[in-house]
Amino acid sequence: MAFVSSGYNPDKPMSDRISDIGPRNYEEFLPPVIKKNFGKWLYHEIIEPGVLMHKAESGDEVYTVRAGTARLVTTSYIREACAIAKEYCGGHLRWTTRNNVEFMVESLEDAKKLKETLNAKTFPGGSHMFPVGGTGASISNIVHTQGWVHCHTPATDASGTVKVIMDELFEEFTSMKMPAILRIAVACCLNMCGACHCSDLAVVGYHRKPPMVDNAYLDNLCEIPLAIASCPTGALKPSKMELPDGKTVKTIAVNNDRCMYCGNCYTMCPSLPLADQEGDGIVLMVGGKVSNRISNPKFSKVAVAFIPNEPPRWPTLAKVTRKIVETYAAEAKKYERLGDWAERIGWERFFEKCELEFTHHLIDDFRDPAYFTWRQTTNFKF
Amino acid sequence: MPSVEFQGKNFDIDEDGFLQRFEDWCPEWVDYVKDSEGIKDLTDEHNKVIEFLQDYYKKNGIAPMVRILSKVTGYKLKHIYELFPSGPGKGACKMAGLPKPTGCV
Repeated sequence: MAFVSSGYNPDKPMSDRISDIGPRNYEEFLPPVIKKNFGKWLYHEIIEPGVLMHKAESGDEVYTVRAGTARLVTTSYIREACAIAKEYCGGHLRWTTRNNVEFMVESLEDAKKLKETLNAKTFPGGSHMFPVGGTGASISNIVHTQGWVHCHTPATDASGTVKVIMDELFEEFTSMKMPAILRIAVACCLNMCGACHCSDLAVVGYHRKPPMVDNAYLDNLCEIPLAIASCPTGALKPSKMELPDGKTVKTIAVNNDRCMYCGNCYTMCPSLPLADQEGDGIVLMVGGKVSNRISNPKFSKVAVAFIPNEPPRWPTLAKVTRKIVETYAAEAKKYERLGDWAERIGWERFFEKCELEFTHHLIDDFRDPAYFTWRQTTNFKF
Repeated sequence: MPSVEFQGKNFDIDEDGFLQRFEDWCPEWVDYVKDSEGIKDLTDEHNKVIEFLQDYYKKNGIAPMVRILSKVTGYKLKHIYELFPSGPGKGACKMAGLPKPTGCV
């Protein structure tokens, strides 16, 4: 399409420029019943998977129908959601912190009708457009990142792996049969954008090869001291080298024995790429949580050191995830999060029950705090 | 690698318009960039910022932190934005011929 101006004048970029206005006030978008009862809610119930009811002091009720989304969506999909909101909810809707979409209505009949409508909508390929669920002790949406769709440092894909896991565990999204909520998160590299370090189950993209050094360009494109300082293990040092054409350039030397392939240096310096088709894959972490319900918040811990990238369906990843989820669902007590369960039975039992191989990769060796993760007691099970 | 020609000089640049080699910098580069960075006339204040960025880069191999830039030039961040509407990174560093800022930007 030919260029269509919005009214912006490139010759006077600062004229009529509006800035620092911030986001719109959320109150502008509240449904009337929410606005009226704001701060006056008495209690709530989960009517059925995906449907909540909140009771206000005034006696008002609001029914919330929660549906899964792919997070990465088109404008036509958003319009579809808007059309539903217009038909049932007076044009109001909201997105949750796990990127589900919630539609609010004022009666149970409306909620049931809405749930039916949402569940009936499918894409041409057959996938649900708005599968209803994600409430209570279920597996709700997966918090994930950009992957091969948009980022330049990933070791795996996000949208792909998420679709695979949610397909595998779809039953758990639309029911509430878990001992407690099971949060899953996906991050495509160790930067861990999102919630991987504090989720019950986390998929993290991982490299297994040190960066390649583009000596000819490095000094032109990178601020060398930044790359050196970005390394958590001190594996990088500045060096000089002679190129084949006889020119001496400043560059970086990588001590491969100290490199653990975090990719931080590539983030700082475009001349140190390390993505690799065979080398890259996935690390599975388990047992994190952010709530302080009963036990304090926990970090997730590495349970599987490496799962290869197998696009487009990642069968090994799907199999291992299902095994862990099923074992947890069968063994844990009510209200026990995955981390609570693993700590109660002991990690040696966790590995045994989930049939995971315990490798030396799982033993912490990063600086002084590693010591505290080793066992300094005779309390263990054979 | 795209290159541009301006007032008889050739510059290799990347897709964001940053110089590929710091040594290629010359006063013509500033003239070439200023239009795309929304700067009408170059003042002494502009030159002072550019000069400091280049000195710091030659001496330390990195671009200065924003607070160092402010402290040494005496210009508050607000004033730096008035001079360079795209900010110290995209605006001033690009005009000074420094490498493109990296990290989660």
